[in-house]
Amino acid sequence: MKIFSESHKTVFVVDHCPYMAESCRQHVEFDMLVKNRTQGIIPLAPISKSLWTCSVESSMEYCRIMYDIFPFKKLVNFIVSDSGAHVLNSWTQEDQNLQELMAALAAVGPPNPRADPECCSILHGLVAAVETLCKITEYQHEARTLLMENAERVGNRGRIICITNAKSDSHVRMLEDCVQETIHEHNKLAANSDHFSLSLMQIQKCELVLIHTYPVGEDSLVSDRPKKELSPVLTSEVHSVRAGRHLATKLNILVQQHFDLASTTITNIPMKEEQHANTSANYDVELLHHKDAHVDFLKSGDSHLGGGSREGPFKETITLKWCTPRTNNIVFSSISELHYCTGAYRISPVDVNSRPSSCLTNFLLNDPRYKIDGSLEVPLERAKDQLEKHTRYWPMIISQTTIFNMQAVVPLASVIVKESLTEEDVLNCQKTIYNLVDMERKNDPLPISTVGTRGKGPKRDEQYRIMWNELETLVRAHINNSEKHQRVLECLMACRSKPPEEEERKKRGRKREDKEDKSEKAVKDYEQEKSWQDSERLKGILERGKEELAEAEIIKDSPDSPEPPNKKPLVEMDETPQVEKSKGPVSLLSLWSNRINTANSRKHQEFAGRLNSVNNRAELYQHLKEENGMETTENGKASRQ
Amino acid sequence: MPTVVVMDVSLSMTRPVSIEGSEEYQRKHLAAHGLTMLFEHMATNYKLEFTALVVFSSLWELMVPFTRDYNTLQEALSNMDDYDKTCLESALVGVCNIVQQEWGGAIPCQIVLVTDGCLGIGRGSLRHSLATQNQRSESNRFPLPFPFPSKLYIMCMANLEELQSTDSLECLERLIDLNNGEGQIFTIDGPLCLKNVQSMFGKLIDLAYTPFHAVLKCGHLTADVQVFPRPEPFVVDEEIDPVPKVINTDLEIVGFIDIADISSPPVLSRHLVLPIALNKEGDEVGTGITDDNEDENSANQIAGKIPNFCVLLHGSLKVEGMVAIVQLGPEWHGMLYSQADSKKKSNLMMSLFEPGPEPLPWLGKMAQLGPISDAKENPYGEDDNKSPFPLQPKNKRSYAQNVTVWIKPSGLQTDVQKILRNARKLPEKTQTFYKELNRLRKAALAFGFLDLLKGVADMLERECTLLPETAHPDAAFQLTHAAQQLKLASTGTCLAFWAPQLQQSSDHNLMRFQARTT
Repeated sequence: MKIFSESHKTVFVVDHCPYMAESCRQHVEFDMLVKNRTQGIIPLAPISKSLWTCSVESSMEYCRIMYDIFPFKKLVNFIVSDSGAHVLNSWTQEDQNLQELMAALAAVGPPNPRADPECCSILHGLVAAVETLCKITEYQHEARTLLMENAERVGNRGRIICITNAKSDSHVRMLEDCVQETIHEHNKLAANSDHFSLSLMQIQKCELVLIHTYPVGEDSLVSDRPKKELSPVLTSEVHSVRAGRHLATKLNILVQQHFDLASTTITNIPMKEEQHANTSANYDVELLHHKDAHVDFLKSGDSHLGGGSREGPFKETITLKWCTPRTNNIVFSSISELHYCTGAYRISPVDVNSRPSSCLTNFLLNDPRYKIDGSLEVPLERAKDQLEKHTRYWPMIISQTTIFNMQAVVPLASVIVKESLTEEDVLNCQKTIYNLVDMERKNDPLPISTVGTRGKGPKRDEQYRIMWNELETLVRAHINNSEKHQRVLECLMACRSKPPEEEERKKRGRKREDKEDKSEKAVKDYEQEKSWQDSERLKGILERGKEELAEAEIIKDSPDSPEPPNKKPLVEMDETPQVEKSKGPVSLLSLWSNRINTANSRKHQEFAGRLNSVNNRAELYQHLKEENGMETTENGKASRQ
Repeated sequence: MPTVVVMDVSLSMTRPVSIEGSEEYQRKHLAAHGLTMLFEHMATNYKLEFTALVVFSSLWELMVPFTRDYNTLQEALSNMDDYDKTCLESALVGVCNIVQQEWGGAIPCQIVLVTDGCLGIGRGSLRHSLATQNQRSESNRFPLPFPFPSKLYIMCMANLEELQSTDSLECLERLIDLNNGEGQIFTIDGPLCLKNVQSMFGKLIDLAYTPFHAVLKCGHLTADVQVFPRPEPFVVDEEIDPVPKVINTDLEIVGFIDIADISSPPVLSRHLVLPIALNKEGDEVGTGITDDNEDENSANQIAGKIPNFCVLLHGSLKVEGMVAIVQLGPEWHGMLYSQADSKKKSNLMMSLFEPGPEPLPWLGKMAQLGPISDAKENPYGEDDNKSPFPLQPKNKRSYAQNVTVWIKPSGLQTDVQKILRNARKLPEKTQTFYKELNRLRKAALAFGFLDLLKGVADMLERECTLLPETAHPDAAFQLTHAAQQLKLASTGTCLAFWAPQLQQSSDHNLMRFQARTT
């Protein structure tokens, strides 16, 4: 596929000389008598279009089809020629639509039959067409800028479609010579002027399509001639066409050739004759589109090539039978299913105003979801950024998380991932934390513990520690987002704070306890050692970020996989927590011990002495110390409230 | 991407190969050895590839239909008989039929042709086929290019010198040319021996059968994946950007969108996304030694126990009815989605969009898609009852903008009758009457069709005379005014009247008049 082929630039040159005001001599009845009207009225005489009108409406139809199917990168420049050339639009994308062209044509108006024919010529337009082909389009400019030193790869080709009334074959030859000469001159000019090279390009290839049109019933003075190479740059073809509908048909065929279009007829579309009719009749609608849409059809050898369509301009059309989408399923089935689609093509109805055509296009356009919202214009980078924030702490397994199973945490978890927090957000986060503190004080059950815990006891307290750790991990992952995130963390740390020495002691105690539990259960040591090493190796290979390492750890601890041995790795484990903790986001130990504790607590109720033992030695008369500690904590709480 | 192995079993393949100090080999043994290596590689690294085996001489036979069972293929290799002469064309026709029957015309297919470079004699020989290639009718056209996207790899059980001594190489090159250049010829470097055959097949494997490994990323969540079949390089514009684009090995998810919003978009190709466990040795070519398999199995076992992001992603996409938009390269995107195989089984798949800033016009520019939270108002509404997609094009297409086309008389007649119908219901229908009238006037001016304006003016004047006595006085007033205005326009006396800006204001004149009188 080439973007800058001949069809990138099309110049229409339409003759606006006095003879174009002549009638095409094809009558149109416009005063059709409506039934049950007063008898005896003679309908108004039929009217006929001028050669000009036929030329303009046919070229507009060409443009309509082209714009429908190629709304971008296929450009038209419209020139009318009489005593001079009038360029009606430019190559810019804003100028590329029917409304602009129609408005400009209205400003020009029909040719003046009383103007001096000697001053008027199509040559002015042809010369202007060559000039305009040299002008760079914004797409060419963009591509050249992008390609830098390879800018010469951007081609400059184009097509001139000239609709005129020529006098003879030699007149046609003269027009061709003029185009060739002009191209030659302009190419020289463009080549020699570095100065202009930013806005001008040499023409590499130009296709001249000369259409001689004449009133119906007259003899043509010009003969058809197929495409012929006049020079390496210029090819030319001549079409001699009667005006009226014959001209429109010719341009319709040309637009299909020039833009590789093909036709598909959708058959048997049920349509109601009246708005509230109960019955419907079946109609066919013919559509044009890029011929690639047919490639797979033709390949499959199962082509439904119909004969020529009724109106005859197209040699072949593929027929497809309409399938009415099941309306009640639209929401749940057709739309929410992905279908394998190898291509989607823009279409243009052949007969845009016919009732079946507009009925079909309206059905397709009247999608209730058809709405626009400009506020969505936010770069994709922001989306990536958001994904990064949202995934900083993301446990992949439900049983590995406490906080994401708790409704009470939702207000905090949903806002903490934001880039910046409002005062209200911070307040909500703090409320969430206070609420959790409150839950802890009331000894409310937590989602993780419900499985394993029987009754209340020290376990509940342990669950809260796990929960607080996880929450801290989540909040810490975001403290660098803003100062307000920092404040949430401060609040969290303040609320969960315990007298330092007690916290430390407890922590150490728990570590030991972990070991103990494991040593009791560790039976298949060898296996575990192996898996431990394997996963260590895996980690090394993957070389992922810290979080991912943490994941691997958690994962290994899932109930299905063997537990790690209580041998050497544990020594490392003793060191890790401090390091991890100080680094912030993820505490390996806390996540680790969460799992182990949960798993173990399901199996038995822990002996209180061992629970608090250090190096397998339980401290006696702890309660004395404990009570002291509790007092401070309670004081601390009271002071906060 | 399915593979068809086309194996030459003509007599010439039984030519002995002299190998010093070992038992005698024939070329077909070398070929079988190479194919064994290919099959073993596929069994390890390309498990999902469907492969068929065709043997040919003057006739051809489908030995093994498309299968993933490489043992069957392997067995077939050792059960091949020797036949008569080489007749390549009929074999290629056979390949066409087999592939089209199984896969249709849209699935890309790789053809591995194994031959010794003896191209047969007389009718049906490649030389004969090529010589008559231009004198074919549509019914017996030469089978190349294949009627489906294809690569033709020709594995010659001969070295370059041997092929060059005749015109064999030339003929084979013609074959690749005929397949639009899609394919390659491999020859044995140096003497014909097992080692050199291995290295030749090694090159084929490197070229066509290396698995595509990538890392799927979504923020901090990642997974190692194999993308199958391998995404092929894509040429966007042969002229301005002839370098084929290849997709990144880092596949970064940039966001998620409802299936309804993306609505079955056109794609270049579809691929399975399979989570993989990379073993320590990386993804080196498996040589089929059992130790490797065990290693791989244990790696897979471990991987099976590690929660994988692919599983999370696949499950989420399925439950939410969404797809993930994934960045494949600069200005190149694709989508990840759950595709149901059957009622019970579904897979994570990736489809590639055409490269470019705006592959799906109804989503607008990819780079302009952003998080919902950035929008002032949730574009999906508070109750999730609307959608910002599809985006409206800036310029409506002709079928959505009520354009005027009078090429067929019926188009013109319909428009005139609409005016007439409304004219008879004045003054109730004043609004639509002027709307239709202005539309006709605008088009007539653009087409320079002034006779029409005069005709319609005459018609309105006549309608005025036909008004019943009971008619509202305003009806006559409007008809007369409209007729006057049209006549004025049809004389074309005042060019300024047609200027687009002024034309609008003249539209206004008509409307204002109507407003004053009603």
